[in-house]
Amino acid sequence: MIDNIIHAAFVMTTPILLAALGGLVNRIAGIVNIGLDSMMLAGALAGLMVASLTGSWPAALLAAAFVGGFLGLLMSLTVTRLAANEIIVGLGFNIAVAGLVRFFLKSWYGTSGTLSLADVAMLPRIHIPVVANIPVLGAILSDHDPLTWAAWLLVPVSAWFLARTRLGLRLRAAGAAPHAARALGLNPLSLRDASTVFAGMMAGLAGAYLCIGVVGIFNEGITAGRGFLALAAFYFGRNRPWATALGALLFGLFDAIQIRLQGRGLPAELVQTLPYVMVIVILTLVAITVKRARNKGA
Amino acid sequence: MSTAETLPDASIRLGAQGVTRRFGELVANDRITFRAMRGTIHAIVGGNGAGKSTLMRILQGMDRPDEGMVVVDGVPTVFLGPADAFSRGIGMVHQEFMLVPGLTLLENLVLAHEPTEGLGRIDRKAALEAARKLEREAGVTLDWDTPVDDAPVHVRQIVEILRLLYRGADVLILDEPTAVLAPAQVQELIVLLRKLRAEGRTILFISHKLDEVMALADEITVIRAGQVIGTMTTADTTKAALAEMMIGEILSKPSARPSSVGRPVLEIRELAALDARRSLRLKELDLDVRAGEIVGIAGVAGNGQDEIIAAVTGLGHIERGRIVLDGKDVTKLDLRDRRELGLSYLSPDRAVEGLCLTAPISENLIAGRHRSPELSKGGILQKGAIKRHVETLLDRFSVKRTSSALPIASLSGGNQQKVAMARELDGGPKLLLACQPTRGVDIRGIAFIHQCLLDYREAGGAVLVISEELEELIALSDRIVVLYDGRVTGEVARGSAKVEELGRMMLGETRQEIPA
Repeated sequence: MIDNIIHAAFVMTTPILLAALGGLVNRIAGIVNIGLDSMMLAGALAGLMVASLTGSWPAALLAAAFVGGFLGLLMSLTVTRLAANEIIVGLGFNIAVAGLVRFFLKSWYGTSGTLSLADVAMLPRIHIPVVANIPVLGAILSDHDPLTWAAWLLVPVSAWFLARTRLGLRLRAAGAAPHAARALGLNPLSLRDASTVFAGMMAGLAGAYLCIGVVGIFNEGITAGRGFLALAAFYFGRNRPWATALGALLFGLFDAIQIRLQGRGLPAELVQTLPYVMVIVILTLVAITVKRARNKGA
Repeated sequence: MSTAETLPDASIRLGAQGVTRRFGELVANDRITFRAMRGTIHAIVGGNGAGKSTLMRILQGMDRPDEGMVVVDGVPTVFLGPADAFSRGIGMVHQEFMLVPGLTLLENLVLAHEPTEGLGRIDRKAALEAARKLEREAGVTLDWDTPVDDAPVHVRQIVEILRLLYRGADVLILDEPTAVLAPAQVQELIVLLRKLRAEGRTILFISHKLDEVMALADEITVIRAGQVIGTMTTADTTKAALAEMMIGEILSKPSARPSSVGRPVLEIRELAALDARRSLRLKELDLDVRAGEIVGIAGVAGNGQDEIIAAVTGLGHIERGRIVLDGKDVTKLDLRDRRELGLSYLSPDRAVEGLCLTAPISENLIAGRHRSPELSKGGILQKGAIKRHVETLLDRFSVKRTSSALPIASLSGGNQQKVAMARELDGGPKLLLACQPTRGVDIRGIAFIHQCLLDYREAGGAVLVISEELEELIALSDRIVVLYDGRVTGEVARGSAKVEELGRMMLGETRQEIPA
């Protein structure tokens, strides 16, 4: 029972973590990406289609990353070159992509809402013998797919990347002081574009994970606002990769609990709101703690 | 033409030759010619609006002249952009520093020119080595791992200068570099710049503070209304002569006539207050300011001045003590109530707290008075009445403007400060808390503002001046109270204050009684 919940929590964490790491890099470079959810949704559809078409999960992931990255580029150019407000553009992308996906399903496949395809290549699960039988640890480490491992590997990698590399330093400069960066001969707008493309790719992968890692079909509500949970995760983590991962894990845990609680007499619609309610509760608690610490500190 | 004239004079490192720049009707630079010789410190002085900023933008390639040329190494040149100027070794330290918050000093130093090893990894060792080398050249020591946000302002300025050196500049243009510094730090900067000169670098120093110019520069070019009035070596001129060239006339110094001192308007009792980081910054203060009196507070920044402001205005918390305004205990009242009792407050930070730069001049001028029955009825602003009120005030304080409906950012710093001053003196306050009243204001503006303060005092007003300019405090104050480490280290009456003695008290030495 506990093992099941832990395993499910890690499964539900992966998409949030992927998108959150993308959004984190994006935010550090100076753009708050409200449109993550749209890139997730498009990535989910692209991933499922290519997984069915080619029967290859790496190809599916590649396609999802490409579609997400492309949407990210479009969104970024609108913000950086046309000087549109990033919040409005992000919201616009969420609404527009949802509409386009619905239109595409109807005109291309003649279905509304849900798309189920034949021969979908699902992500493989890596079973680790011996470890799998250890309680708790087995649930944490065994029977996860490559994308989950990649997501967790990306946590230290992105921390290292931002702190220690030239590109990381320049992304931080572009976000914190674009004028100063420009005065030094950097191009903060291009740096921001690059970071949004990265965020789009990560969100695209997150979407594909939901389709070919978890459920195996596409539904227009498949992201269920997880792009916004990702947003909450990197706000929770205050731009630090490990803290962001912790946030993603917390929200993933509540997502897993929510799924467990369904069908136990409580109205499903109410239960489904659990992760989102917890976002509000947790972010409020964090804000209060930070304020307390500040008041107490010397 | 003789060969001597056609050969470029390579000893001229940077200069201008007949540079003219027009903005519509306005001629910001009118045939400006000057030459800064290699390995010297050349000062460009002029009042607000003299055309210094335009010239600087042209000299570092951010703007192009309509006529004339920039001279580099004796050769007339056209810069394509700032990068072009920089490739010729010309770099500028801006008034508002161009450092990136959140990055360490070291990261800021190497940003955009990072030494790297494999995988795009920053070679920290190489970066630190370069930083240490620059430190030695400049004769300073810095903790390079400090985040910029935690570094004091003079350290940031040094980093900005070192960054230009790191990137290969040998001409440094400094725009009003001392505006943000405390007196002791100004001395450090002067030492640093002299050291850089000794190493053969050329420094162009823009300022309107004549003391510093006289102390630092080898040559001085004075500009006024876009034209060069003259260039001279520092040895051949005096502060008074420069001032006259800058403003075109001899200003009579505002003088304080004796005034009758009345009852206490502000009484501060046993005041102690915490700073923004919640450590005890102001430890004990007892102070009276009486009607018809100007009391000045001297001290190096960070010795409790900010906490006095916070306590008197009610904008910050106090640890203990009482504030009495015009006989009434206001310790628990907020700023609005205190203002109604006769407090006025001229903020030290004009751009952020004192004014709303994007709002029209007129709105800035009535801010806080907008509730008065003449200016608004039932929550509706009375346009006609406001306009009359605003124009009268602007005329009285001789604020130069095209229209009071324009954003106040369109005014020069000096005129902005006059607007702030006009607002605070409007409505007959009992006490004026004037903080850094002439920061970023030129000589003529300073004289005007000082005269306003003295007139107000003569009319029976009480003024508490907090300033980092000792000359200003000496000129204005009936009494100067010196603050060090949150306590009063001395008090000096008008006429007996000397800069050196005040300076010693500001560093914590209590006033020596002269033995009989």
